[in-house]
Amino acid sequence: MIKKLKILLIEDDMIEIMKLNRTISTLKLDHTIIEANNGEVALQILEKKDNLPDIILLDLNMPKINGIEFLKILKNDDVLKYIPTIILTTSNNQKDLLECYKIGVAGYVIKPLKYEDYVIKIERLLAYWSINELIVV
Amino acid sequence: MSQDQSEILKRALTREKAARKAAEKILEEKSRELYFTSQRLEQLLDEKSSQLQGVFENIADAYVVMDLQGNVIKFNEAATKLFGYDVSIDKVNVTNLIYKEDYQYAMTSFYELYTKGFFKGYEARVYTKSKEVKWVHINASVIYDKDKKPVAAQGIVRDITNQKISEEKLIESENRLASLVVNLDSGVILEDENRKIVLTNNKFCELFGLKASPKDLIGLDCKAASEQNKILFKDPDGFLKQMRAIDEAKKEVLGDELEMVDGKILERNYTPIVLGQKSKGYLWTFKDVTLNRTYRKSLEAQKQKYYSIIANMNLGLVEVNNQDEILMVNQSFEQLSGYTEKELKGKNAGEIFSAETGSEIIKEENKKRQKGLSNSYEIKAKNKSGEIRYWLISGAPNYNLEGEVVGSIGIHLDITEIKNLELQKEKLLAKLEKSNDELQEYAHIVSHDLKSPLRSIYALVSWLKEDNQGKLDDVSLQNFALIESTLEKMEQLITDVLNYSSVGADNTAKSEVNLNTMVSELISMLYIPDHIHIKSLNTLPNINGDKTKLQQLFQNLISNAVKFIDKTEGHIIIDVEDLKSHYKFSIKDNGIGIDKKFHDKIFKIFHALNKSKDSTGIGLSIVKKIVNLHEGEIWLDSQPTVGTTFYFTLKK
Repeated sequence: MIKKLKILLIEDDMIEIMKLNRTISTLKLDHTIIEANNGEVALQILEKKDNLPDIILLDLNMPKINGIEFLKILKNDDVLKYIPTIILTTSNNQKDLLECYKIGVAGYVIKPLKYEDYVIKIERLLAYWSINELIVV
Repeated sequence: MSQDQSEILKRALTREKAARKAAEKILEEKSRELYFTSQRLEQLLDEKSSQLQGVFENIADAYVVMDLQGNVIKFNEAATKLFGYDVSIDKVNVTNLIYKEDYQYAMTSFYELYTKGFFKGYEARVYTKSKEVKWVHINASVIYDKDKKPVAAQGIVRDITNQKISEEKLIESENRLASLVVNLDSGVILEDENRKIVLTNNKFCELFGLKASPKDLIGLDCKAASEQNKILFKDPDGFLKQMRAIDEAKKEVLGDELEMVDGKILERNYTPIVLGQKSKGYLWTFKDVTLNRTYRKSLEAQKQKYYSIIANMNLGLVEVNNQDEILMVNQSFEQLSGYTEKELKGKNAGEIFSAETGSEIIKEENKKRQKGLSNSYEIKAKNKSGEIRYWLISGAPNYNLEGEVVGSIGIHLDITEIKNLELQKEKLLAKLEKSNDELQEYAHIVSHDLKSPLRSIYALVSWLKEDNQGKLDDVSLQNFALIESTLEKMEQLITDVLNYSSVGADNTAKSEVNLNTMVSELISMLYIPDHIHIKSLNTLPNINGDKTKLQQLFQNLISNAVKFIDKTEGHIIIDVEDLKSHYKFSIKDNGIGIDKKFHDKIFKIFHALNKSKDSTGIGLSIVKKIVNLHEGEIWLDSQPTVGTTFYFTLKK
């Protein structure tokens, strides 16, 4: 059974948010997207423990709290650490990749240049997570 | 008969009677006289023989009488004592007494005794009863009876054993002395009162350059000889004058030094030899002391030399004893430390300069030196004005003549300046490393920030196309396509710049890379059109290097080759050649080729020769950078329209 996912997208770029939203509507997927423009906003959203997202899509390059810092905070939280977090970034910096997996991520996806390629990647990503069993608090 | 006749006869008879009577009387007298004489003679003989008997019996020397077969008839007391036999009990034959080696000599002497009647001065060895060997001297003679027939032999035997031994000893010591004199390391010349040479030796002949042997010189006149030899000396007249003065004074002179023309220095001694009150001659000895003198001189010079080196060298020198107390410092050390030698003498070297760990190190190193180890180490020291200085100390144990460690000598070099530079260098390196890291980080951020807008533009263009599907004319669609390819090129450019800056930035550890596996994996990964064939002529070796970078190197070159093949049938040939320290690789294609004038340019960044969608002009710059990182070189051989071969070397 394909689950309806509640997705927290942490992304500061307005167009990137549009890209994800458009992709989901184009693909006619029934997922909910919660937007957070930066880490601080995201943490505020995550404070409501009764309405936590199923997965988090996280951009690395962000103002204020950057992706890796945010990831560390997440993983130090007894509840939040169970939410699968997938990095969605343009950076293919090996150091970042290594660091993210070290802290604990559920995936690391590089944003391709072409929009068509992006749609394919997101489709597969969401399909994968919608068939996964997730911890429900 | 007539009266007359008878008268005459009567008278004659009477005369005759009277005459006979007178004769008888004379005879009687004579015979009486004779009797007395013989009586006296007999008495004399008796006296003589008893006298002789006493002589033989009592003489100190042994007296032996034997029969003609050599059987001893009589031994006097001395003989009994000498031979140990008592002839009244023992039966002794002289032939048994003869020492076996002297037998022949003894027989000859016996024969002489029997033929001539005596022998004299026989000297040989005999056995005594206790088998002791004794040297004896014998005079012997034959005893005859009244008919001149030999009946026995007698002899006087003297024990000369002691005399013989001392004689032998004398000869031996004389020989010894003679050979000693001959072989003496000093030239010796002994002259008599008339200055005639009595004795000299080899060394003398050698010292004076005489071709004669020492024996030939005996009897020569010393005075004349010295006048001939004077030319051998630097001061010939002085030599003679001195010699004459000594000769006249006849007093002992020791340690005179004479300098010879050939540079030799002789020490001359003069000793008069006096036996009792009588002068027996004069002994001159000459000894070559050149070596001693020059040795002493060169030692002095050597000492002076080292002394001035130590005093003037730009290195501080400190001598300490086993308790680390300063015994001596040189001038440079005074400048180095700020203390004078006076202030330092007797002070503990480790404590006086102590700064932090300085004295600990000194103690530790001193211990090692006690064991005879030489060492060098750096310490932090405090000079007199309290300034912290860095000293490089090279220490060595100091030994006395018995080979015991009595302390150590340390050479000090002030390396504060060098040390400061070193610390500065370390700081700079750390800083450089940090800024390199920052730069790397910066490159990633920049590339991210540049790439993000490209993605946005691409998405927006895609949406425009999507949302206006069927409303756009062909020119607009073409322009949209151009925007997209420009974006792709921009993306590639940013990727390449980032790659280029990454090469050489992160220093991943080198490891053994199997190029053969790596390249075949690479070929299967890359997009190779069907008309292009890639072939390796030889098995590629293992290289100590950075795997990711080596992969990038081959990838760039192979994809370059693929990219520029314009023939209907493409060939890429990979080969390797083993050079001593490097491997030489070649990648050959039959592509468009590169004009000679561009051969240098193509390795420079942003020098793409063919402006195309997928060529940014960075690929070969990256290749060159990677090759250089592996201590190799890259060059090419190419003919336009025919093909290109890239050669590069990598360190084994």
